[in-house]
Amino acid sequence: MSQLEALVEDPWLHGLVIGFLVLNLLMAVGGFASWWERRFAARIQNRIGPNIVGPLGVLQPIADLIKMAQKEDIVPRDADRVLFNLAPALPTFLALGGAAVIPFAGSWGEDGRWQNQLVVADLDIGILWVMALAGLMVFPVWMAGWASNNKYTLLAGMRAVAQGISYEIPLLLSALVAVVATGELSISGIVSWQAEHGWLIWRLPVLGFVAFLLFFLMSLAEANRIPFDIPEAESELVAGVMVEYTGLKFGLFLFAEYVHTFVAALLAVALFLGGAHGPFAERVGPLWLLLKAGLLFVSIYWIRWSWYRFRADQLMVLCWHYLIPITVLLVMGTATMVSLGWL
Amino acid sequence: MIGTLFLLALLSLVLLCSVQVARCPDLVHSVLWLAVTLLSTACVLVWLAAPFLAGIQIVLYTGGVITLMLFGVMLTHRDATAVVPNPIQRPAVALVAAVTLLAILLAAIWRTPELAPAAMSPQHEVTTLQIGQVLLAEQLLAFEVLSVLLLAAMVGAIVLSRRKDP
Repeated sequence: MSQLEALVEDPWLHGLVIGFLVLNLLMAVGGFASWWERRFAARIQNRIGPNIVGPLGVLQPIADLIKMAQKEDIVPRDADRVLFNLAPALPTFLALGGAAVIPFAGSWGEDGRWQNQLVVADLDIGILWVMALAGLMVFPVWMAGWASNNKYTLLAGMRAVAQGISYEIPLLLSALVAVVATGELSISGIVSWQAEHGWLIWRLPVLGFVAFLLFFLMSLAEANRIPFDIPEAESELVAGVMVEYTGLKFGLFLFAEYVHTFVAALLAVALFLGGAHGPFAERVGPLWLLLKAGLLFVSIYWIRWSWYRFRADQLMVLCWHYLIPITVLLVMGTATMVSLGWL
Repeated sequence: MIGTLFLLALLSLVLLCSVQVARCPDLVHSVLWLAVTLLSTACVLVWLAAPFLAGIQIVLYTGGVITLMLFGVMLTHRDATAVVPNPIQRPAVALVAAVTLLAILLAAIWRTPELAPAAMSPQHEVTTLQIGQVLLAEQLLAFEVLSVLLLAAMVGAIVLSRRKDP
C-alpha cells in the first residue's frame, strides 16, 4: 500500500487515483450486492435463489441490467418532468460521497503513530461532511415522491422527510460520542486515536457499545432499511417513491440503496470499530476495514429478512421519546468521562 | 487567477439561484432553488477557507430548514392551477430598497478590519479548534444567551402546538 501511495505525490492526482479505486470498489459492491442479497434471502427463506446465470448465478446482476435497459422509460403525464428525471441521479452521488473521507488502509509509522492511507480526501471536518450528505439524502427521495404526482409516492415522500429530519438528530448525536471521546473531527483522526488507544466500542465502557449500536440503527433509518423502511413499505405504499419509475431509473434507486448501506457500514466501522486497524494491518491493506464492514453489511440484510417494519407513528415515538434522550445522555456521559480524565 | 474565476462563478451561481427563488412560479421549485442557493453559499464558504461553517451551513440550513419547508409545502393542498406570477410590482421602490441594503452591508464590511476583503484569503484558514475556543471562552455569554433563546423558542413551539384537552 505504501508503495502505491508513494507513486503519486501530487495531492490532487493522489485524490483522483484513490477516488477512482474507491469508486470502483463501491460500484462493484453495489452491483453485485443484489445477487448476494437474493441468494442470502433465499437461504433464510429456505429457497435457492438465482443460480442459473453464470457460476452460482453470479452474473445475475448483469442479466438484470440488460433487462432494465430494455424497459420503456415512462414519465407520467402529470409528473414534474425535471424533478422526476433528476431524482434518481442524486442518491448514488450522495451515498458515494460519504466514502470520500474514510481511510481504507493504515499502518504503524516509524514514530509509533498510526498512519492512515487510501483516503480520497482527508477533510478536517470529516464527520460534518458525512452528516451534511446524510442530511441531503431526503431530497432525492422527496423529489421523486413529489414529482411522480401519485398519492402513494406523495405519502412515501412525506414519511421520508419526517423520518429523515427526525433520525438525523440521534445519528448526529451518536456520532458526536466518537468526536467527544477522541477529540477529533476528522474520520482519519478518530481512526488513529482508536488504533493508538483501543477501539471505541471497548475503550468507552458500555457507552461505546450503546453508541455504536444506536449509530448503526440510525444509519439503517437514514438508508431507509428495515426496520425503518417506512418510505418504501411495499405492503402499504406499493413501493413508496419508486412506484412510477421504470427501467434504469428504478435500477438507480435500488443500486443507491446497496451503496448507501455499504457506506453506512464503512462509517460505523471507522467511527467505533477501529477502521482499518487490526493485526498485521500493514500487510493486509484495506482487508480489515472491508471485513468488518462486510460483517455489518451482512447483519443489515439479516435484520432486513428476519424482522418486521415499524408503523409510521411508532417510528416517530421511538425517535423522539427514546432515541434522542438516550443519545443526549450518551454524549453527556462521554463528556463527563473525558473531563474526569477516565479515557 | 483560476481561484478568483472559480469564486466569481460560484457567486454568480448564488445570485442566479436566489433570483430563481424569487421568480419561480412554482412553490416547490422555489424551495428547491433555495436549497441550491444555500449549497452554493456553502461552496463559497469552503473557498474562503471556512470548511466548518460550510458544513454547518449544509447540515442546518439545507438539511434542516429546507426539509422543514418541504414538509410545510406538502402539508398544504396541491392546486395545479394556482400559479404565482411573481411580477416586480414597483421596480423603483425595489431598486431603492436593494441599493440601501447593499450600501449598509458594504459599509459594515469595510469598517470591520477582520472582514475587509484583503483579510479573506485561503491562507487564513480558521480551524474548528479556534472556533470552539472563541465560542466557549471569549463569546461564552453570547453563546449561552443564544442557547437559552433557542430553548425558549422550543418550549414556545411545544406550548403552541400542544393539543388542547377539554
